[in-house]
Amino acid sequence: MIELRHLRKEYENAIPLEDINVTINFGDVISVIGPSGTGKSTLLRCINLLEEPTSGDIFLDGECITAKGCDINRVRKKMGMVFQSFNLFGHLTIIENIMNPQITLLGKSKQEAYDKAMELLSTVGLASKALSYPDELSGGQQQRIAIARTLAMDPEIILFDEPTSALDPSMIGEVQSVIRMLAKSGVTMMIVTHEMDFARKISNRVFFMDEGGIYEEGTPKQIFENPTKEKTRKFIYRLSSLRYRIDSQDFDFSTISEEMQGYSEKLLIEMERVSKLQMSLEELCANNLMQMEKNPDIKIKIEYSEKSDILFLFIRYKGEHFDPKDSDNELFLSILGEKTTEITDEIIKESHDEYNNSISMKFKWED
Amino acid sequence: MKRFFDFKLAKKTVSLAVLLCVLCTFLAFPYFAYAEEKITKLDQLDGKEIAVQTAVLYEEMLFDRLPKATFQYYTMPNDMIMALKANKVSAYMIEEVSFYVQKANHPDLAKLDEPAGIAEYGIVIGNNEKRETLKKQLDEYIDKANKEKIIEKMYEYWIINYDPDESKTDLSGLTGENGTVRVAIEGGYEPFSYISNGKPCGYDVDFVARFCREYGYKPEFYQVPFESIAPGVEAGKYDMGMNIVISDEREDSAVMSKAYITCPILLIVLGGEKDNLGFFGKMSRSFYKTFIKEGRWKLFVEGTGITTLITVASVFFGTLLGFAVYLICRNGNKIANKITDFFLWLIHGLPTVVFLMILYYIVFGSTKLGGTWVSIVGFTLMFACAMYDMLWVGCNAVGKGQREASRALGYSDSQSFFKIILPQAAKHFLPIYRNEVVTLIKETSVVGYIAVLDLTKISDLVRSRTYEAFFPLMATAIVYFIISGIMTYMVRRVEKTIDPTKRSDERVLKGIKTE
Repeated sequence: MIELRHLRKEYENAIPLEDINVTINFGDVISVIGPSGTGKSTLLRCINLLEEPTSGDIFLDGECITAKGCDINRVRKKMGMVFQSFNLFGHLTIIENIMNPQITLLGKSKQEAYDKAMELLSTVGLASKALSYPDELSGGQQQRIAIARTLAMDPEIILFDEPTSALDPSMIGEVQSVIRMLAKSGVTMMIVTHEMDFARKISNRVFFMDEGGIYEEGTPKQIFENPTKEKTRKFIYRLSSLRYRIDSQDFDFSTISEEMQGYSEKLLIEMERVSKLQMSLEELCANNLMQMEKNPDIKIKIEYSEKSDILFLFIRYKGEHFDPKDSDNELFLSILGEKTTEITDEIIKESHDEYNNSISMKFKWED
Repeated sequence: MKRFFDFKLAKKTVSLAVLLCVLCTFLAFPYFAYAEEKITKLDQLDGKEIAVQTAVLYEEMLFDRLPKATFQYYTMPNDMIMALKANKVSAYMIEEVSFYVQKANHPDLAKLDEPAGIAEYGIVIGNNEKRETLKKQLDEYIDKANKEKIIEKMYEYWIINYDPDESKTDLSGLTGENGTVRVAIEGGYEPFSYISNGKPCGYDVDFVARFCREYGYKPEFYQVPFESIAPGVEAGKYDMGMNIVISDEREDSAVMSKAYITCPILLIVLGGEKDNLGFFGKMSRSFYKTFIKEGRWKLFVEGTGITTLITVASVFFGTLLGFAVYLICRNGNKIANKITDFFLWLIHGLPTVVFLMILYYIVFGSTKLGGTWVSIVGFTLMFACAMYDMLWVGCNAVGKGQREASRALGYSDSQSFFKIILPQAAKHFLPIYRNEVVTLIKETSVVGYIAVLDLTKISDLVRSRTYEAFFPLMATAIVYFIISGIMTYMVRRVEKTIDPTKRSDERVLKGIKTE
């Protein structure tokens, strides 16, 4: 139904879309996910030409809509769009927001437009608000109206640009359920979203965007359970890490503890686990590894996986090997003895760099 | 339907008027109470402030005698009297002839016995194709008039035996077979040129009439402030500028006729006898002189008409022009934007008076376009700039999302602008629009500079006849209040009518069956 060929979009200082080639079929419900700044919204806005692509072609039902003489206004009537910020017309009542485009653009009579608008308002559960103005409604209500306004035009495809990002958590549900209802009724849709669960449940295809294009594409099952490519995996498992390097005796551990604080607050990691990790880190590095060499060289990586709920500590260092079990710190040894803690101590024989010793620790919450 | 007349507003206006009257009475007190300080010798004035009319150059006579005196410049003789009475200056300089008229109105004025000097007045001749001929004819006529004692008779009639109520100028027999001449006169300068019964008269007017009769011209008189006469004549806008002091410097840059009048210049101080009319007597005399005598109220009505015409026409055309320019520039057409930016920069950067004078003397200098039309053109351009700026601000205040949402639905660019953006922008810019209209009304008060007889200029002219400031100024102020009140009220009505959020539910659902 829609085909993108070699679509490219450049800005002065960024190229969000390098070369997109994809086909959207009738009845598809596509979720577009990915880190911010990877061109998800740009892709959507290029499809209905709100952004003019730098090069490449877009075909709608076999017609090239990027061609010069193409009447964009006619094409746009077939493509609905729902915005993050709702964009209801502030000077019109709710009913007029839905009626006026039908009258102006589809040439319907006032009565026809009204009947259709009321029917849609009932569908989204807001018939009683017909004569209110947009600023009298909550965000969730406004977004449902915006969806109704789009539906009133009988579009072939609806593009949702982060429809729930501007909403209070309490209102996300009402909007999602309207979209879910549409998905079930077979409307072709493309949704840019940060709500992974929602994306997973609603769509039949998922585009993961990065590196200027669709980095990985698949069914929700493939993308969310078995992502094959590294960046997808990292994104899905929400892995992000803290990294440090100790290369002198007077390394300041307070930096680590400060950053660790912020990191744990952001990811909601329990203080108990964080202090266990900090205790282990100081015992291993400050009290032992740093004492053994005059010029220590130690790399540290701290990582938390939301998915598996494990807090990782990786240490690699140069020089002589140190066995954590030789520690004389009893508190540290008792941490090691806990069921929720795992430790691996290795000497890497064929290391590609000179960091030939490694210690990795896992801190779990419960078994 | 709502009544157009708003009772609440009327009540407000009445209370405002009462407040104004009380304020006026307070303002009037110091004006009718005189201050005293005795000066009898010219040398006493060294180191003091002396008032002199702009562009007459009399101050040059005193540079040697009073090296430490400082000079203040006033546009009209009347203002100098006010300044003297308010103790802002210790003396003012005026032609002997004018002094007698002033003395009749203000018995508390006194002259110093020693005059400051003798001034000669000539006619400055327009910088156009008639210059050569006029110069020859004027000099010829002045010689003849001196020889035949015409000038002497005129001096006797206008200066020595001048009677403000009886002296008349004969403007008959001006056939104009040799065309018209445009003559710039001060118009507020009794007895040389002033307005009596709505017509120009005085020594200068009489002289011009006699000259024109002799040579078959028809004169057209323009009332122009002194300082604007020379530039207007130099631009060729007028053929003759009357009553210009002859000085060496002037003869270098302009073509001047021979002197058609000479006159001692006096220094006037306070110290005459006191006016023994009571406060109310003075007030009623002043009221009579300002409005009733010679039907001067008609002048005020005409001035109000001109001010209203300029304002309404400029607002109307300015709105249309600003809107049209905005439509052209809206989508970032580079050439249109560059041109518009240039004009905005130009017009915003100039004081209103300067802009109007440039239009009148330079841009339209060679055309016959009258001052009123030039004013309308000028203020239209200024209001268009304001309108253009307002539209930018108003439309930018409507979020980008509104445009995107409408375009995404399939609205064309212009549909989106007229149906979605503009109705919302109007709410943002109409309050500013209201203020701009009021500003414009006030700004029109400078059109007197280009010979338009608007309300302010009329008040100046009447003041120069009556030598009273109170009633002309108050009347003018009140009329301005009323005009801006009405205009503001009308814009507010429009604002209310077009505000979409003020519609009733029935209006929204008009013509729809709702089951």
